[in-house]
Amino acid sequence: MIADLLTVVLVVAGLAFFAAGTVGVLRFPDVYTRLHALTKADNLGLGLVIAGLLFQADGATGVLGLLLVWALVLASGTVVAHLIAQRTRTHGAFESADREPATRDPEEGGG
Amino acid sequence: MSAVLFVFDVMLLVGIGGVAWHCLTSTDLFRAVVLFIALGLLLSMAWVRLEAPDIALAEAAIGAGVTGALLLITLERLKHLEALSPTGRDPEHSTGSSAGRALLSGVVIALVGALGLLLIRALLAQPGQAGLQPLVDAQMHRSGVDNPVTGVLLNFRAYDTFLELAVIVLALLGAWSLGRHESVPARPVPGPMLPGILRFLTPVAIVTGVYLLWAGTHGPGGAFQAGAVLAAAGILIVLGRPRRLPIAPDQPLRLGLVAGVALFLGVGVHGLLFGPGFMGYVEPWAYWLILAIEVAATLSIALALVALFIGGRPHEEDR
Repeated sequence: MIADLLTVVLVVAGLAFFAAGTVGVLRFPDVYTRLHALTKADNLGLGLVIAGLLFQADGATGVLGLLLVWALVLASGTVVAHLIAQRTRTHGAFESADREPATRDPEEGGG
Repeated sequence: MSAVLFVFDVMLLVGIGGVAWHCLTSTDLFRAVVLFIALGLLLSMAWVRLEAPDIALAEAAIGAGVTGALLLITLERLKHLEALSPTGRDPEHSTGSSAGRALLSGVVIALVGALGLLLIRALLAQPGQAGLQPLVDAQMHRSGVDNPVTGVLLNFRAYDTFLELAVIVLALLGAWSLGRHESVPARPVPGPMLPGILRFLTPVAIVTGVYLLWAGTHGPGGAFQAGAVLAAAGILIVLGRPRRLPIAPDQPLRLGLVAGVALFLGVGVHGLLFGPGFMGYVEPWAYWLILAIEVAATLSIALALVALFIGGRPHEEDR
């Protein structure tokens, strides 16, 4: 019972980070601030969701699997954010020519 | 609970339709490719909801991951080519008058509508218990494996899977016939991040690939998923190479590329001569034959996908 409650609290907190990160990606003005918003959703949002799901995992393998998922996303997300920021600094933003600031990406709300 | 899942399914469907529409109508190629990758991820989620984890894995690994990488590298090369010959392209590539175009789009819309109506009718006309599930379940003990998906793919419908493997080799032959790739010089990326993550992710990818291959006999997994994961590791190494890539020895590379198709064909002919027919297995050996084919196919798929990413056949003079 108490485990279920903890799961709900942690997962909802994680979803709040995802929601804030998504809003940040849609609204922030340039690549760096968008990356900032996105990585918060990745690290803290996914971390909280995983922490909540740990209480529902069956056995040590389930726990290890969830932790592995978090570690892999954390590692790859960090590196991808770094590479995008680095490329933006040396080459300029992707598709900077025709991207008007009001453009909204409808696909980022799903999932 | 089912109401929540229903809402989720509707959102997923709307998302797939929306992303597909934006992907098709986008005039910016980079944007279209990114949307295509997002579409692949949403589709793999849809396969999960349809309780087909095998296809979900394959869609995420090949449909979104490797295909996305292939499209992005193609885009990069296109940009390079356009820089070489800026006058070569005619952006206003219109055919015929506006009346003709309107007529054409009318015909296309009518055809698409008729096709859609026919598909909906075919869906509605299906009897309630359609499908081959009972038949497959009844024959599973003869297939040599425990996972029904692997049983269908590598035993009951082995011919289809054989042709899928052959298509990958044919695609690579097509790419190789277009020319040689330039030698692959070092591509140092400043900073420790990329080499570091390569050192961390490559062993993880190899373990995951071998696990997926092994898991295929009793659970979700198999040669295509395992090959795609190994190919992803190879593509990462090609992208983040700290020094000049070594040239693969020619004969072993070619042998590895056709190993899956060749072994599959050999086993199929063996079935024709000594067993139940072409692409059938002599029953007591079914498990070991399937395992051997899966291992060879994994190797061939991984090699072919990385070779497609590099593009062009290996340079003869470099060796």
